[in-house]
Amino acid sequence: MEVHRKKLKLSNKISELETIRQFLAELGVAWNIAPPVILTLNLVIEEAFTNVVGYAFDDKLEHTIEIVFDKQDNILSISMIDDGKAFDPTQNAEPDINLPVAERSVGGLGVYLIKSMMDQVEYKYKANKNILIMRKKLES
Amino acid sequence: MNIQVTNRDNFTVVSIHGRIDTINAENFNTHLMHILDNEGVDHLVLDCAGLDYISSSGLRIFLVAQKKISAVQGKLLLSNLQPTIKEIFDISGFSTIFSIFPDTEAAIKSK
Repeated sequence: MEVHRKKLKLSNKISELETIRQFLAELGVAWNIAPPVILTLNLVIEEAFTNVVGYAFDDKLEHTIEIVFDKQDNILSISMIDDGKAFDPTQNAEPDINLPVAERSVGGLGVYLIKSMMDQVEYKYKANKNILIMRKKLES
Repeated sequence: MNIQVTNRDNFTVVSIHGRIDTINAENFNTHLMHILDNEGVDHLVLDCAGLDYISSSGLRIFLVAQKKISAVQGKLLLSNLQPTIKEIFDISGFSTIFSIFPDTEAAIKSK
């Protein structure tokens, strides 16, 4: 059994999306993950990260958001950990993607994309921290 | 992200290059809304050949453009979506609310 782990510590700023992009490009090379999969991971991490930055904190202080990448054999787990308000995004109402254009809204689309593009999404609240775990099976 | 604007027949063609994420979505929005609101364009092709990445922040802008153009009975056509981008459109249900063509030529001829 092969186990790999990498950690990324970010501050609660949208500009950190650039750090995430660069980190994922390097992760793709280091863990031999195909570029289209890296794009998918970038998307789901951006959606989760922007939700946390936008809604988790009531104060103006700097907070650390940690992302832990675990690869065990061909299962990749991405855990996003923050100390903001308890919020379970997996309980979000799903958008109605069949509505005509005039009635469509993009609200809720981010979490819907995460659930659709990952194989499993799990939320925990532990020791005053939100933990969102997103898992995907990689093609070997 | 950068865009190039050209005119073909009676369509304005906006070619998008790079990534549309939460960092630069507002910049893309400003450019596109200027074209729609200030220049009054209602026949638009968004050529996505160079679009490498889009998140829900960018999808939101595509949706706003579609709403505006539908409201004036204009036409918004998308061309050259890369497979990963097309997949995101499919999952979001956007493939049914946009007219998507394999290339810009086909989009313009469809009128």
